[in-house]
Amino acid sequence: MTNREQLAWAVVAAPAVIAVLVLVVPRRVATAFALVGAFVTAGLALALSVLAFRSLSDPVVGKWIVVDAAGGLLVAVVAIVGLATVLVSPAYLAGVDSSLGSAARRTHSYFSVLYAFWAVLFAVTLVGNLGGAWLLIEATTAVSALLVGFSGKARALEAGWKYLILTSLGLGVALLGIVVLAAGIPGGGIGALSWHALPTYSAGSQSALVAYVLLLAGLAAKIGWAPVHNWLPDAHSEAPPPVSALLSAALLPVVLLIAWRSEHALAPVIGARAGQNVLIFFGLVSLAVAIPFLWRSLPWKRLLAYSSLEHMGVIALGIGFGTPLALAGVAVHIAAHAVAKALGFYAATPLLEHAPRATERAVTGIARTYPALGGVMGLSLGALAGLPPSPLFLSEVLIVAGGFEAGRSWAAVAAALLLALGFLGLAHALLETTVGKARRRDPSSRRGRRTLVLLGGASLALLLGLSAAALWLPGSAFVDALLQGIS
Amino acid sequence: MNGALLWILAAIGLTVVVVRRRSVAVGLVTAQALILAGFALHDAGSVGDVVAAGALAVRAFALAALFLLLVSRTREQRPVHARVPPLVRAGGAVAFALALTWLVPVLGLDSRDSERAVLALVAFGIVTAATRRATLFHVLGIVLVENGLALAALGLPGGASLTIELGVALDLMLIALVAGVFHERIFAEFGAGDSTALRTLRD
Repeated sequence: MTNREQLAWAVVAAPAVIAVLVLVVPRRVATAFALVGAFVTAGLALALSVLAFRSLSDPVVGKWIVVDAAGGLLVAVVAIVGLATVLVSPAYLAGVDSSLGSAARRTHSYFSVLYAFWAVLFAVTLVGNLGGAWLLIEATTAVSALLVGFSGKARALEAGWKYLILTSLGLGVALLGIVVLAAGIPGGGIGALSWHALPTYSAGSQSALVAYVLLLAGLAAKIGWAPVHNWLPDAHSEAPPPVSALLSAALLPVVLLIAWRSEHALAPVIGARAGQNVLIFFGLVSLAVAIPFLWRSLPWKRLLAYSSLEHMGVIALGIGFGTPLALAGVAVHIAAHAVAKALGFYAATPLLEHAPRATERAVTGIARTYPALGGVMGLSLGALAGLPPSPLFLSEVLIVAGGFEAGRSWAAVAAALLLALGFLGLAHALLETTVGKARRRDPSSRRGRRTLVLLGGASLALLLGLSAAALWLPGSAFVDALLQGIS
Repeated sequence: MNGALLWILAAIGLTVVVVRRRSVAVGLVTAQALILAGFALHDAGSVGDVVAAGALAVRAFALAALFLLLVSRTREQRPVHARVPPLVRAGGAVAFALALTWLVPVLGLDSRDSERAVLALVAFGIVTAATRRATLFHVLGIVLVENGLALAALGLPGGASLTIELGVALDLMLIALVAGVFHERIFAEFGAGDSTALRTLRD
């Protein structure tokens, strides 16, 4: 077993062990234990990412573990978002007055389920097998549904229930696709579903295409691609804000990685063009469905949720175009979306304290009544809108240029138009949210201001770094490694 | 698998779509899973196959115990009627199953009859979840879909992977357990396991 494989197992094992241990530590040290554990977990994961980036031409592709360029990127994203999520969780828990479980064990159960979710997210990113990936994605549904409904309130129960049922049914359809693939791959067993074995499918391109469509349609329900996205705005808006960040910034792109790997692995059987067409379809439909909601006056977290729908559509388009420019855009987009979206959700905890009715309606003029919070929300929304020099602006330019590079001009033009419309909607929301007409608010609610400012500063630095990376990335060895995939 | 058994499995699935009582539906999906486990055991050619059949049976009994416990702990004050009448549900389910059979070409299983039965069970599961108001029926719809997929795994030419079979059984039990937690809380919050109460989040 190589160093990277050992480290990959450790990255999954560390949060899984902490998920168990946090249940048995005394109550007074549970939060401190979770915070220390987050640094250990994130440290291991970032070390693995660095090793993955330093060995771009020599990815680990085993029966159980894959450590490649795309996996390295997603491990880093999951690590950073997971760490920040644990760091902001105490502020959320301090204001919680109800939960699914007992009040006495609230902190223990929250961190235990959160760590279990974090562990499974790492596992999905690193798993070397489509069958294993399906099992792990299904496991993310079970644990994250508990987090969505954590408050135990009526709206959270509704959101958690929809999420659980709709994504489980979707994953059932995906499993049907996997069964069809397993039927056509010589050898059988779990090894037949490894990423390396999928291109050996030999029962004909027609049935392989059917399997691929079933698989992607099922995964779409989990990624939140339209038209099977109905659970997404509810779950993301009703989950605890730190959990919403992990759902949007980490879970969605991690499942999308499995769709990406499936497309890459099956391209020799179904034809690269056919596989990409399905992704472009989901991408354009998601953009088209998201835009009208970005133009509406929505509560903060629901606005961010619809923005997730838009951004998952953009990433699908980039993978569908599949050119070096587009994939450079995809890499920047995944990372920048994670930073900006997580920041937006983290801001929801102080926002709900400052303006409690923000769960029900759009907030306006936050920068006038709470400048630090308004600044953080403005940074998040400005970046998500693609306001230059946001890295999301640059990544979208790269993806659209990649569409032209791929000879898919009509799709690139449609994407550019839809993105422009989305920008206008979010730019309007940005102005209203930050400097619009302010309502009377409680000026004393400033808890967690320091953490918020620190997170805002760190996010700004990361976003500027990603903007620079977007200029450097095209033509780099990293993009070559993304193009090559795990074949 | 012989044609008669496939018809029985499909008929049980269709009955779940129309049946009124939750406990009867639980019995039906359990019977369906046990038939599948029996068939898997009958066809077992290795220790792994026997273990997989055992996992299917354990899953069937564990889910039945969980669901019946939930039914007994959440007695409805009055029946939770489905949005759509039984005959319309049955008609819709059959039409959906036929459409799937027509749309999806060859799956690559050991017989075309098996493939039709798989698609029918998937269709019946989705229709059950989509048309019933009682929350427990949503979960039973998922179990119906998973029973269909277990049938598909049995029809794989090279046999199914033990790891995947065990994993799917474990995942399904995990999902059912979490759904059970939600079902009880929904019942406590709204006074009924009725999904019409879960329609407040709209844009």
